[in-house]
Amino acid sequence: MSQIDRRQFMVHAAGAVAAIGLMPDSLPAAVRRPGSAPLPIALIGAGRQGRAMLVELAKIDAVKVVAVCDSDERRLDAGVRRVADAEGFADHRALLDKRKDVAAVLVATPTHQHKDIALDAIGAGRHVYCEAPIAHTVDDCRAIASAARGKRLAVVPGLEGRSNPVYQLAFGFSRSDAVRDIVAIRAQHCQKTSWRVPASDPARDRALNWRLDPDVSIGLVGELGVQAIDVAHWYRGRFPTTVSGSGSVRFHQDGRTVFDTAHADLHFDDGVRLGYFATLASSYESRHELFVGSNASIRLAWSHAWMFKEADAPTQGWEVYANRQQFHNDEGITLIAGATKLAEQGKLKEGVGLPHPSLYYALSDFFRAAIEGAAPAATIEDGMRASAVAILAHQASVAGAAVPIPRDILG
Amino acid sequence: MGTRFEVVLAGGPDAFLRAAGDAALAEIEQWDRRLSLFRPDSTLAHVNRHADAGPLAVDDELFELLVACRDLHAATAGAFDPTVAPLMRALGLHTHDQRHRPPGGVPPLEAVGFNAVDLDASRRTIRFTRPGMALDLGSIAKGHALDAAADVLRDAGVECAMLQGGTSGVVAIGAPPGLESWRVRLPPPLQGRAGEGLASAQPGPRVPLVARLRDLALSVSAPGGRVVQGPDGPVTHVLDPRTGRPARVASVAAVTAPLARDADAWSTALLVDPGLAARAPATLGWAIGRDGAWTTGGLWIEAPAGVAEGS
Repeated sequence: MSQIDRRQFMVHAAGAVAAIGLMPDSLPAAVRRPGSAPLPIALIGAGRQGRAMLVELAKIDAVKVVAVCDSDERRLDAGVRRVADAEGFADHRALLDKRKDVAAVLVATPTHQHKDIALDAIGAGRHVYCEAPIAHTVDDCRAIASAARGKRLAVVPGLEGRSNPVYQLAFGFSRSDAVRDIVAIRAQHCQKTSWRVPASDPARDRALNWRLDPDVSIGLVGELGVQAIDVAHWYRGRFPTTVSGSGSVRFHQDGRTVFDTAHADLHFDDGVRLGYFATLASSYESRHELFVGSNASIRLAWSHAWMFKEADAPTQGWEVYANRQQFHNDEGITLIAGATKLAEQGKLKEGVGLPHPSLYYALSDFFRAAIEGAAPAATIEDGMRASAVAILAHQASVAGAAVPIPRDILG
Repeated sequence: MGTRFEVVLAGGPDAFLRAAGDAALAEIEQWDRRLSLFRPDSTLAHVNRHADAGPLAVDDELFELLVACRDLHAATAGAFDPTVAPLMRALGLHTHDQRHRPPGGVPPLEAVGFNAVDLDASRRTIRFTRPGMALDLGSIAKGHALDAAADVLRDAGVECAMLQGGTSGVVAIGAPPGLESWRVRLPPPLQGRAGEGLASAQPGPRVPLVARLRDLALSVSAPGGRVVQGPDGPVTHVLDPRTGRPARVASVAAVTAPLARDADAWSTALLVDPGLAARAPATLGWAIGRDGAWTTGGLWIEAPAGVAEGS
């Protein structure tokens, strides 16, 4: 066998082994609506998240945005401009009343407005994708979950980890001997930004800067931490019983009272803790979750994931061929979603990142539930639990004290 | 876009200006995520993966940018052409893309040409009509992102700002306090032509230009960056998409325009083909540096005595 032949053989062999070891299933197929016109949908909330949704929605043939709603006139104008032929509404009730053809709504408004919109949409018989956290109070979270129970509707929270192929892949490892016992979890969201929306008009400033309004904001731990908290719930299959926290305004001394740096420690009943940290003063290491296991640790970073093995962990056959990346003294094995397909094409080493942002997978998963009746990756009960725990974690960080997590929230 | 962006703001409370600057930079970041050739999850990567299989729907914002690309491709007689990606890749000029090494052989010129990109305005779809095509928006993405960021600032009520990206693209909003305009100095062009080894080039007569910008954008293109050794000598990252050969005409081209994306595309086109200056729209100003000297035309650029005025 020549040198080149041997190399090709190694690549194919790597693919074959990796197919067993790396990938429980391939990337999800695109959601389709065979034989029918696209499902008419509406976007409620045309801010930054709503705009990101529009980019991903354009890739999904099965749906068409026919209406856009935002109570802020400028945002509504921008939203309508960005969607050909969409009708604009300043009020979600007017939208639900007038556009009976709208089968599903995507709720991307400020968190404290979610409940009324979600309840009205569910009451009007529409499928609902609601950004996470699903609400800003525990009672509102309960109300949304309660309204969805027993309905033949897809009511899905925007918890993007559960539908993310990389996270689904890593989930399999987290539950196997490859990782073994999870002893600790660490997660962070670091981003150097003011979290303030620029607006020269005072009334608009108050409305747009709801994240900095202590009356309605659930802070960094609540707004950003909800995603990591849900991943911890999912991977652990259990829930924290108490949460303690702290925080302060460390950097943005602009009169705000909502912390720009906050911590929360979530205590699980088996002694494992999730240490969560978020700041608006630094972007170091961005946003990720780390599950520390006795055989290996897994680092999840939305589009990528790595496994760091202990020296005494058993060797797995596929490791020899896997991509690796050095992190100072540690070597991470890249966990590749879609490895089977990539290996067949001889492109295993190219597929180190997801082909779409995680939002695309979350929206596709929702439409699969709405159109095909499939079970969503994240249920509204998952959304209620993660959001309620995130709200309590925020309250703990504000109080600088431990807060119990009521069992009835966790179901 | 793999480069540094900066925003200078004046005329408002600090917290407001900080928030405005954050929003402008966040806008640039989100365009980078959408238009990056090197991120597998960018919308551009999605287009390059699937647009050869049939009409592919894209979001309206991207579609509008693609229409602008088509218009600029036509206006510059093909000297600006975002379909140059396969050529760049074949020559190993995609600096960030470590996966693609120059394979050698003949550059796939048949896969280049924006007139083979089919845009359907009624369905908002894009389709590549020839095999092997791909888009590289590197010659317009920076300008487009700067325009979008400037819109964010204007929308927030900012009346005085300057944004720059990679020291080669600038958008000016209003003028600095107490001045008529933002001024950007363009250093004297180097002697020698692109592709002739600029490291050894000698500076020509020391004649800098000053661009005066007020609610105007500026873009400067020069064949810096990565240089690889081709069969006929050094190859820079500026290729003439019509011939597949490196641009060897101007050593620098600067263009002002109301929109940074137009300035960006036109400065690339003039570097490749300075003769196109004769057909530049009346809203453009331009300066072309060759053999150590400038030729200027159109609006805005302050030309000291001795600098030739173009047609």
